[in-house]
Amino acid sequence: MLKEFTKGFIKENPVFIIVLGLCPALGVSTKVVNSIGMGAGVIFVLLGSNIFVSLLKNFIPEKVRIPAYIVIIASFVTIVEMVMEAFIPALYDSLGVFVPLIVVNCVILGRAEAFANKNTVKASILDALGMGLGFTLALIIIALVREVFGLGTITLFPIGNFNGVIEIPGLIDSPVRVFALAAGALLVMGFLKALFTWIEDIRRVKQ
Amino acid sequence: MKEVMKIGGKLAAICAIAAIALGIVNAITEPIIIAARAEKVRLALIELSVGLEIGELNEVNNEGAILGYYPLSSLENIKAYIVNIIGSGYAGDMNLLTAISLEGEVLSVVLMKHTETPGLGKEAENASYMEKFIGKGNGSIIPSSKSHLDPKEADSIAGASITFIGIGKALNEAADFVGQLGGM
Repeated sequence: MLKEFTKGFIKENPVFIIVLGLCPALGVSTKVVNSIGMGAGVIFVLLGSNIFVSLLKNFIPEKVRIPAYIVIIASFVTIVEMVMEAFIPALYDSLGVFVPLIVVNCVILGRAEAFANKNTVKASILDALGMGLGFTLALIIIALVREVFGLGTITLFPIGNFNGVIEIPGLIDSPVRVFALAAGALLVMGFLKALFTWIEDIRRVKQ
Repeated sequence: MKEVMKIGGKLAAICAIAAIALGIVNAITEPIIIAARAEKVRLALIELSVGLEIGELNEVNNEGAILGYYPLSSLENIKAYIVNIIGSGYAGDMNLLTAISLEGEVLSVVLMKHTETPGLGKEAENASYMEKFIGKGNGSIIPSSKSHLDPKEADSIAGASITFIGIGKALNEAADFVGQLGGM
């Protein structure tokens, strides 16, 4: 059972191994704080949609399962969007257009179709948490590389006197701007995917 | 036929439950969101007013970029206007508030609601981004094309020219508009 939870981190990492949800992953990964926010949103939506799809798997007719999943997912996304705008407006502002895009994030529809509609609620919850955390982890890794090199900063949440921005000496004055742009996103993604595939290969050979 | 009704009925039931859930969440969050938006506009207006007295909002209903304006006065004399404008951005309209003096000089600009790309057009939210517009007008050109900027400034808009041009054009329109309004 624990395997359903841990597989999302490396073995079946949604971004690096299954290559799902790349559009939002590359879009929001300019700053670490955005990655954490997007990850939290995806975990919540994934958890909600997996639970409901798994609960309703015998109720939802086979022929209209995709529309039914989309309704469930879209409802959770809209709830996340409204709650975020009301209670964490700063995060809502910084994620902007990517929150509504969670609806079409294929990680979520992918897990509903590939996992939740065949498995128990308990397994689906573990799968959602594992995949959600794996997605968040992937986003944070991409964002760390892109923000450190592209902007020379690491942006986290402001706490007390700390304004949330760690400046990297040397890079802050002359950042490698390509990392902050779309081309840098794809480059970083490619190298990280290679790294994860390599780790996975080593593990497989050992077994 | 019966099968279709059954499938349709089930889908409708799911939709109905989803709609009810959304309605409840909306009822809870909507007043908070509206209050937060109004507060954001109020704070932006105070920042833009530079200590002058903010008058009533006058709405403008034309096809252009101008949505409305607030006169800024000191001792009953209008000194400047805050103009509420819409610029056309990369991903839809951008709402800006700008204070413009009677002579047509841009005193300050704030980007309000927009959907620009994070890391690119969204950088326009930063106060430093707007420095290239401030103090322009009244004799000098309010930049609305890369050729109006010096090379160092032009670097700061790399990858987000459309956002920059959209803001520049809207500001030019606002400055012309204030010129027409005059001191009244």
